[in-house]
Amino acid sequence: MGIIVNMDVMMAKRKMSLNELSETVNISLANLSKLKTGKVKAIRFSTLNAVCNALDCQPGDLLEHSKDETS
Amino acid sequence: MSQTNNIVFKGLKIIAWIIFVGLCIEAGGLIVNFVFSLYQPEFVENLYQTLDLSEMYNRNKWAFFGMYSFILTIAFLKAYLFYIVIKLVTKIDLTKPFNSDVSKQILQLSYYTLSIGLFSYIARRTAKNLEHHGYALDTLNEFWADSQAFILMAAVIYVIATIFSKGVEYQEELEETV
Repeated sequence: MGIIVNMDVMMAKRKMSLNELSETVNISLANLSKLKTGKVKAIRFSTLNAVCNALDCQPGDLLEHSKDETS
Repeated sequence: MSQTNNIVFKGLKIIAWIIFVGLCIEAGGLIVNFVFSLYQPEFVENLYQTLDLSEMYNRNKWAFFGMYSFILTIAFLKAYLFYIVIKLVTKIDLTKPFNSDVSKQILQLSYYTLSIGLFSYIARRTAKNLEHHGYALDTLNEFWADSQAFILMAAVIYVIATIFSKGVEYQEELEETV
C-alpha cells in the first residue's frame, strides 16, 4: 500500500517499547505489532488518537504516503 | 446465539439428514432399477421403485439411456445438494457466521440447485417430445415436476450467497482494522 507506518521510528525517538505502548493505549500487543509492521487495512481515529497521545506526536509523524507503491 | 436459533438449527440438521438418507436410498433404488431393467426386466415389478422402461428399451435404446441418465443425474444431484446442506448446517458457527467456507458452500448450493432445475426442465421437455412419438412416460413426471421451483430457488440462493460473500469481505476488513 502507498501508506507507510513510521510508528517504530516514533517509538525509538520516545524510547518506548511495544509493551509499554500497548499498556498505555490499551490495545493488544498483537494488534499493535500488526499496525507497526503495516499489516492492517485500516486504522480507527480512536486508535490513532490514542497512539498520538501516547507518543506525543502528530498523525503525520506516524503515517507517510509514498507515490511509488500503489493499491 | 439465542435458544430458538439453537433449536431451529438442531431441527434443520435432523431434517437434512433424514432427507439426505431418503434421497440416497432413492438414488440407490434407481440404480438397482436401471441394472435390473437391462438384465432382468421381468424382475422390475418386485423392486422398490417399479420404474419399468423395458418397453422403451426395446423400441429405442437411445431414448431409454437418455431418460435414465436424466433420472439418475437428478437423483444424484438432489442427494449431493442435501449433503452440502448437511455440511453447511454442521459447520456454520452462528456466533461468527461470515467466513469464506460458508460463503463457498452457499454458492455451491445455488449452482447445484440450478443444475437440478435445468436438468429437470430439459428432461421434462425431452419426455414431452418422446410422448409425441408414442411413448407412455406419465410415470416419469414425478422426477422432474418441480423444475421451475428449483430454478427460482437457485436464483434466491444465489442472491443470498452474493450478499453473504459481501458480508465476508466486510468481516475480513473489520478484522484487519486496528
